[in-house]
Amino acid sequence: MTKTLIATTALIGALTGPLVSTAMAETIGISIPAATHGWAGALNYHAKRTVEMMKETHPDMDFVLTTTPDSGRQVSDLEDMVATRGIDALVVLPFESEPLTGPIKRIAESGVWVTVVDRGLAQEGIENLYVAGDNTSFGETAGDYFAQNLAQGDKVVVMRGIPSTVDNERVAGFEAALEGSGIDVVAMDHGNWNRDTAFTLMQDYLSRFPQIDAVWAADDDQAVGALAAISQAGREDEMIVVGGAGMKEMVERISNNDKTVPVDVTYPPAMISTAIEMTVLGLTSDAPLGGSFVISSELITPDNAADFYFEDSPY
Amino acid sequence: MSAVNTAPSSAPILALSGVTRSFGPIEILHGVDFALRPGEIHALIGENGAGKSTTMKILGGYLDPTTGEVTCDGQSVRFVNSDAAEDKGIVMIHQEFNLAEDLAVDQNVFLGRELRRGWRLDHKAMRSRTADLLTRLQCRVDPAAKVNRISVPDKQMVEIAKALSRDLRVLIMDEPTAVLTERECEILFTQIERLRAEGVAILYTSHKLGEIKRICDRVTVLRDGTMVKSAPVADITEEQMAAAMVGRDLSDLYPAKPVAGPDTVLEVENLSVPGVVSGANLVLKRGEVLGIGGLIGAGRTELAEAIAGLRPRHGTVRLLGHDLPAGLVQAAVEAGLAYLTEDRKGAGLLLDKGLRENLTLPLLHKFGKIMIDRKAEEAALDKAISDFAIRAPQRSMRVGDLSGGNQQKLLLAKTLLSDPQVVIIDEPTRGIDIGTKQQIYALIADLAEQGRSVIVISSEMPELIGLASRVVVMHGGKIAGELEGDQVAEGAIVRLAMGLGEHQEEAVA
Amino acid sequence: MTMATAVKTQSQGRRLDLQVIGPIIALIALILIGMALNSNFLSYANITNVLARSAFIGIIAVGMTFVITAGGLDLSVGSMAAFVAGLMILVMNVLTDTMGVTLPVILLGIALALIAGVIAGLINGLLITKVGIEAFIVTLGTMGIYRSLITWLADGGTLSLGFEMRELYRPVYYGGIMGISWPIIAFVVIAILGEVVMRHTAFGRHCAAIGSNERVARYSSIAVLKVRLATYVLLGLLVGFAVVMYVPRLGSASASTGLLWELEAIAAVIIGGTLLKGGFGRIWGTVVGVLILSLIGNILNLTDFVSPYLNGAIQGVVIVLAVVLQRKSAADR
Repeated sequence: MTKTLIATTALIGALTGPLVSTAMAETIGISIPAATHGWAGALNYHAKRTVEMMKETHPDMDFVLTTTPDSGRQVSDLEDMVATRGIDALVVLPFESEPLTGPIKRIAESGVWVTVVDRGLAQEGIENLYVAGDNTSFGETAGDYFAQNLAQGDKVVVMRGIPSTVDNERVAGFEAALEGSGIDVVAMDHGNWNRDTAFTLMQDYLSRFPQIDAVWAADDDQAVGALAAISQAGREDEMIVVGGAGMKEMVERISNNDKTVPVDVTYPPAMISTAIEMTVLGLTSDAPLGGSFVISSELITPDNAADFYFEDSPY
Repeated sequence: MSAVNTAPSSAPILALSGVTRSFGPIEILHGVDFALRPGEIHALIGENGAGKSTTMKILGGYLDPTTGEVTCDGQSVRFVNSDAAEDKGIVMIHQEFNLAEDLAVDQNVFLGRELRRGWRLDHKAMRSRTADLLTRLQCRVDPAAKVNRISVPDKQMVEIAKALSRDLRVLIMDEPTAVLTERECEILFTQIERLRAEGVAILYTSHKLGEIKRICDRVTVLRDGTMVKSAPVADITEEQMAAAMVGRDLSDLYPAKPVAGPDTVLEVENLSVPGVVSGANLVLKRGEVLGIGGLIGAGRTELAEAIAGLRPRHGTVRLLGHDLPAGLVQAAVEAGLAYLTEDRKGAGLLLDKGLRENLTLPLLHKFGKIMIDRKAEEAALDKAISDFAIRAPQRSMRVGDLSGGNQQKLLLAKTLLSDPQVVIIDEPTRGIDIGTKQQIYALIADLAEQGRSVIVISSEMPELIGLASRVVVMHGGKIAGELEGDQVAEGAIVRLAMGLGEHQEEAVA
Repeated sequence: MTMATAVKTQSQGRRLDLQVIGPIIALIALILIGMALNSNFLSYANITNVLARSAFIGIIAVGMTFVITAGGLDLSVGSMAAFVAGLMILVMNVLTDTMGVTLPVILLGIALALIAGVIAGLINGLLITKVGIEAFIVTLGTMGIYRSLITWLADGGTLSLGFEMRELYRPVYYGGIMGISWPIIAFVVIAILGEVVMRHTAFGRHCAAIGSNERVARYSSIAVLKVRLATYVLLGLLVGFAVVMYVPRLGSASASTGLLWELEAIAAVIIGGTLLKGGFGRIWGTVVGVLILSLIGNILNLTDFVSPYLNGAIQGVVIVLAVVLQRKSAADR
């Protein structure tokens, strides 16, 4: 199932409006990771924005938003929500799959509506609704672009993120897309989705390889660091950099036809909005709603860049 | 308590024969023969640096001899470490106790040899066995008390209990009475004599020759790493012991008492330190040596520290007509008052630093403007070494490796570096040999001679009597009385110290 | 320790030598390994990169050496750096609106970073000296506070300097004189000053005395609390200075800025031979420590020698080895 986020949001916005009066006083709990890096920051931004919006359209509904720095704290948060706030629905982006599966399963079994966002649980069929980005498609999209735009024998360096399932899926997708293209991946190291780490990593790549034709930074924060190192070395014209997620700054560069940053790959943090809105809809309407919404990654090009630019987003 | 028991002729448990020990190129011990027999208290005396510590460490398994032989029960042995020695029942009690301050008494007694019940610790057994041991020592400390909460003599008892908890055959005691009051010493002596009766061989070191005369059976004197005398205590007088240690006659241990001038230098009015000192008044004249006596815990050190600005206080301290602010050491030093702490190692010197760094520490701002003038520092050290006759094998060595006497001389040099008008010296000769004592006494008299004023705090009665022309005695945080001229005598001081003087109170230890 | 088996005393001389040589041996070994594994290792660009990126941690570690030598600790420096950087960017962006893209904006930004660093250090220092809370707890607390504040300032995202302002400020990191970039020059100058202050001034001596035995220092009429406070303020100032060098590099600050800098700085100080319990510190050792840490990362990036998953393990092994090398004979005592 592939949808663009904007379309979904518009659709639900239109649907939820008239349903206000029929709803009873319900509480929705939302638990997401703390804003420790750019993408999570944007996730927080969109979650808060959506909660504000929902409060206006559904004055009788309560929202409990918690952000957590680790799995352990997330479990406690969930327990608190159930025990002290008596939530009717839960929107959760699990910090890690395995440790959160049990606690979320128990909450689901107690009759609470559960929407899982982005990171799937270790066991299938627990949640009522699953909204996620597609990490494999994220890697594939970048890989496909490289396969189509680079020549055989061109050299690519890869910056991976924090070692995790997300990172593994992305890299697997990327490698699968490159297979048979004759493009040479010369190095892969972890930039930990951190600008500073990416900067030093790129500096060292530049010292190490006289020829680099493309950098898959796999994340826009990493791309920022890599670009700074490339411009320090004065090698902007030798290579292209493809990041990921759709950061404002990157989208801007693409729409300005920047030669070093020709495209970007989306992994929209606004998926949390979709999840919250659909959960509200699920609670308020009698229409059966559920299943799995996987939002595929898209390639941002100078042609469609305008659609991905959010003026007031922090990211 | 007789001085001499039966002269034991039994075979020695632990003995050294022809033992030498070198540190690097320097030989510290030159062929020492020494034997510890069961049921005998053997005193080892000598000046600081004479080689006592080294001898004890070799006996206790802490050091190997360079040449020569250690025999245990007639067999030549070489201990791998102190644990190996302890397994043979040889235990050394250090001057600085080897106790874990944050653990309870019973935990300390069984530290490293905890009693177990299966895989769990048997707390109950350890507690009751500790209680038994302490009862044996007539020590009323609660086995569950934390060591940092009990008194110094009690800590010593805990150390002895620790030694007793294993099969004790040889007990090596490094100046056990240095930190004890006279009454506490009596308890210790009773215990030592009981251990002797049980057949333990005891090595005892002390700078207090009177003690040795009283409780030891045999005395061995070391001087500069050589055994100069070994005799039954009955056959040797204190004077002979001292002469053997120093190698010269010590008839004039105390210099002539200086005469105080007419003008007042320091006035202390109604000084109180909450909980320790209340309403103390003092007057100090120019060129005077004033003694402060009293039991440990009577508030002497606290009074001195309050005067020196090291403790918060109420009341006035006037130095040369100017009030000193409370709680500001720097102000006191600048105004010309210096305090020499009784706690040489804990508060006096940085043991892991060199002589130079220690000497100039309080007065660094006088050595160079922004950068420290190292040449000036070295010059100051040269002067201190010659003025105070400090004997340091190397200038760059750590102060912690100096002997106690040389540490004390360095501390004196450090305290006097600021050229103070008033010097308060707390326990000037604690743990120091008699030769160095004599030098320090002469120094104190010199200071007064130069027109400075000195306050000497001391637990050693002869020291107060020999040095001070006027003695103030404290009891229970108050000044119990003042003695001058001929009144300065042991009986009068003790009476006041026990609270029997002007106030007819019960003695509180 | 108290009941510890007293093992035979060894001769003292060797220990000192190893203490001096230990970190240098480790550094030389790393350089040799780097040369063997990659021919570009000694290239001008790579050396410049490594030195310049060491500058932030290095400048902070110089301050940390004083704090640790005086028996203290500061865990907040990484978060503090992030917060100061965020504040600096925010204020410079606001100033740009009224004053335009001009030099005074940069100067004001620099002044602000230094002042903010001093204030942050002062807060740590006052809580530790006047209120009397353990340094570990105080700075653990402020570490969390600054990290949250930067996240809040950036609204969870990234604070970025305006594009034109970034271009104007950029030379402070990327520029230099005679081919040596400014961060390297700043690092060298601060390290030399630090070494002089530590070894040749009363302040340095007092730090060592306090760390060695606070009571002795107090009894030696040293203003213990003032000196302690000064070490934290100095560290804060140097954090501010590091930020002044850091901001022009990427022109941004986020919640992940300066992450784990405090541990890197502390590790560098200890590798360099400064005692964690205080009482002895040496700045040149800290500089060597910083370079060792930077070189490990650099060499791992320049080679495929080990799985990138094991980078942390390699770093850990080198840190422990460098310290073991100098403490080995100390343990024999």
